[in-house]
Amino acid sequence: MSSNPAPSGAPLRLEAVRKVYRSGDSEIVAVDHATLTVADGEIVALLGPSGSGKTTLLSIAGGLLTSTEGRVVVGGQDITDRSPRELTEFRRTTVGFVFQSVNLVPFLTAEENLLVVAELSGRSGMSRRDARQRAKELLDELGLGHRAGNLPSQLSGGERQRVAIGRALFNRPALVLFDEPTSALDTKIGEQVMELIQNEMRSRGTAAVIVTHDTRMTHYADRTVRIVDGVLSDDPVAAGHP
Amino acid sequence: MFLALTEMRRAKVRFGLLSGAVGLLVFLILFQQALSTGLINQFIGALRNQSADVLVFNAQARKNLEGSIVLPAQQAAVAQVPGVAEATPLGEGTFTVLAGVDGAAEEQDAVIFGYQLDGPGAPTTLVEGRLPEATGEAVASSRNADEGFGIGDTVTVVPNAGGAEVVFTVVGLAEEINYSVSPTLFTDFAGFEAAKRAVNPDATAVLPSVMAVRVADGADPEEVAAAITAAVEGTEALTRRQAVDGSPGVSAVRQSFSVVLLLFYLVVPLVTGLFFLIVTFQKAGALTLLRAIGSPAGLLVRSLLLQVVVVVLTGSVLAVGLFWLASRGGGGLDISVESGPVLFTVTLVLVLALLTSLAAVRRVLRIDPIAATTGAGVQVG
Repeated sequence: MSSNPAPSGAPLRLEAVRKVYRSGDSEIVAVDHATLTVADGEIVALLGPSGSGKTTLLSIAGGLLTSTEGRVVVGGQDITDRSPRELTEFRRTTVGFVFQSVNLVPFLTAEENLLVVAELSGRSGMSRRDARQRAKELLDELGLGHRAGNLPSQLSGGERQRVAIGRALFNRPALVLFDEPTSALDTKIGEQVMELIQNEMRSRGTAAVIVTHDTRMTHYADRTVRIVDGVLSDDPVAAGHP
Repeated sequence: MFLALTEMRRAKVRFGLLSGAVGLLVFLILFQQALSTGLINQFIGALRNQSADVLVFNAQARKNLEGSIVLPAQQAAVAQVPGVAEATPLGEGTFTVLAGVDGAAEEQDAVIFGYQLDGPGAPTTLVEGRLPEATGEAVASSRNADEGFGIGDTVTVVPNAGGAEVVFTVVGLAEEINYSVSPTLFTDFAGFEAAKRAVNPDATAVLPSVMAVRVADGADPEEVAAAITAAVEGTEALTRRQAVDGSPGVSAVRQSFSVVLLLFYLVVPLVTGLFFLIVTFQKAGALTLLRAIGSPAGLLVRSLLLQVVVVVLTGSVLAVGLFWLASRGGGGLDISVESGPVLFTVTLVLVLALLTSLAAVRRVLRIDPIAATTGAGVQVG
């Protein structure tokens, strides 16, 4: 288990979260009584080997999965018992995601991949003009202003991840969840992307959880939490700053 | 809307080809329907486009105009049936006539209908000229205007030995009034009677083929027809529509075309549904991502259905354009363009395409957003 003192409105608070998959009479415990709090602006690396439960935990934090036991509070909202429909809205409005592989809609340009977030919100979202302005600002900040009209197939792997970061930040979420954001990239590009994530999160004061199995990437985080067989533990050795 | 239309804009060739395929298939449906309607109109247009609400046949004629005669006693009895406002004789016969243009008249077959000028049975689709006002005047089928049946032309019934020549002057043209695929004339009953006597000088009496009935205001033609059949022995009264549908050959033509049309009606939505199912599988990753970042499933379903509507409507516009060109070109084919069937076909194809797209909708609804973390797409099965 891992915890940090943080206010109740912390971007992420997991309390004794347990996720069990049942198959017939057998049970597989993917996450076992995990407790984790991420403070405002804090970047936490969730480090663990394949099959350790790190993506499951990230999915629970992001409302993609529901926990079997425990409590999940994101940005002050308790999402523990929310319905699938409510979780869909939660994902749209409160968290940002950057996934490992499928990250962009292939038939939308870089700019449109950001604008789609506003489109999904419909009339309750920002105006079209504001959305375009926001997309432009984000792409400029991410060094992709000149690539706004390009389709994902015309972008490099690093550029695609940067667009995905822009999309994740578009709605000014309380928390951004990164699932192995550098696993499909070579080391150099991976480090550039991590540096970008660190800068973008810090400059906005946005909290982030980065799932990774690569210890070389953990120094971009403020804190590293290890997960093995679904059990969380602080990892003071891996934690550090660049 | 944004997602649906942007995707279509980016994949113009893919969606364009589908719209083209749908368009060609819808065109074939419209063409078949028009061909069928055109053919049927050539057979029984005269019955369809005359003013009588009910036609009273001799029961033994089995709805065949050529084999029907109504006896004087039956004529009188029909007029007495409640709901009958007017019942007048309508005669029909095929005659050898002399007709032609530029003085080159030649013998050909023509059908002559004789009706009481102020009664039911008059042609209802006059496009040029006027209805006959006296014996010796006739309205001709507009399709044959260039074959010696134009306004001002004279058509002469070729008499048999002992018979007198009967001449009709064409004073009007009406659309779709052919009968038995022959040039057709509508004249007064006296003219028809004269034509009959020309070919059969020994005839003691010329009887009408059917009685043309106008029903009283507010009366239901179907009920009146049933009442006549029940009240007047040896008759079979039919509404105009029943007479058209029951004509020998019409139902056979309809049935043959129906089988072909049914196949087309199955193929169009199946092609559309299959296309969208394949597309849904192909973009499973994108759909999963969208679900993961908070897109409601309903929004993705609406996008899909919007694409179906756009494809079918685009295809239909293309089909109607081709159909219009085909009807203008003609090419010797008898194509009848009617807005009702076109609208019906497009609507039916659209509804069927939406129904077959439900398979793709089901796939969209089965997307589990958690698959975004594994890189998997739509679950199969």
